[in-house]
Amino acid sequence: MTKAATQTTGVLGRGPFFWGALTLLSTALIVGLGVSEAIEGKGVLIMLMLIPITAFIAMMRSAYRLAGTTEPGCIAKGAAQQRYVKRVAICTSLYLLSFAATQFAGNELDPPRAVIFALAVLTGLAVSGVFWAMGRLIIEETDEFIRVLTIRQALIASGLALSSASIWGFLEAEDLVMHIDAYWFAMIWFFGLMIGAAVNRVEHGTWGAL
Amino acid sequence: MKNRLKVLRAERDWSQQDLGERLGVSRQSVNAIEKGRYDPSLPLAFSISEVFGLPIEEIFSRD
Repeated sequence: MTKAATQTTGVLGRGPFFWGALTLLSTALIVGLGVSEAIEGKGVLIMLMLIPITAFIAMMRSAYRLAGTTEPGCIAKGAAQQRYVKRVAICTSLYLLSFAATQFAGNELDPPRAVIFALAVLTGLAVSGVFWAMGRLIIEETDEFIRVLTIRQALIASGLALSSASIWGFLEAEDLVMHIDAYWFAMIWFFGLMIGAAVNRVEHGTWGAL
Repeated sequence: MKNRLKVLRAERDWSQQDLGERLGVSRQSVNAIEKGRYDPSLPLAFSISEVFGLPIEEIFSRD
């Protein structure tokens, strides 16, 4: 078996879309359990979040392998996309570490507020790193058609996230909905990237960037 | 815009992947241009022209 053929097998024989869908579904399920208060306590929810996190890591690994192949397929490939996947993987790892550290320190160590502040900012910056990675992808992508698709994806994701934040914010101001932490709108942005990829597939026949 | 990319490619027995490699773009880009889903930029149109050895107006035309 050639190296390329080996690489296209993804992780456990599944490609990034399978792992992406699993990430999305498991996150939605956990959010649903948390919102409906079927599960109480942050600790259990955080433990459950290991499932989508693991699926996300598998998605990034399979995406990286796919980006490195030259075989025909429905996903665009190239050096810029490999760098993007690598950057997102680094930011995600940093996010996981800082988030876990924030939770652990907050629950177990009772450190000074400045430490919690620094850890929370670090977690937020790690998420911001994914936005930076997307920006770099748009700048570094040399294939103009794929660049257009990537920009469309980002615009759709931004529209979805900002619209959600606006609507939810006004509803929350009127005490019509519960309070949710603002970082969830960043999660909606990531979900919007998947919607954007699906729109690209329908309108342009390819999913576009990974 | 209409284009003769598919015909010109077939005449040379090139796959979309082959043409993509010659142009430095993805197979998806070639496919999108061929099907009229995407109009290439002027620099890419010039590259296509050079690869086929034909003037742009013999490859692309208005609808």
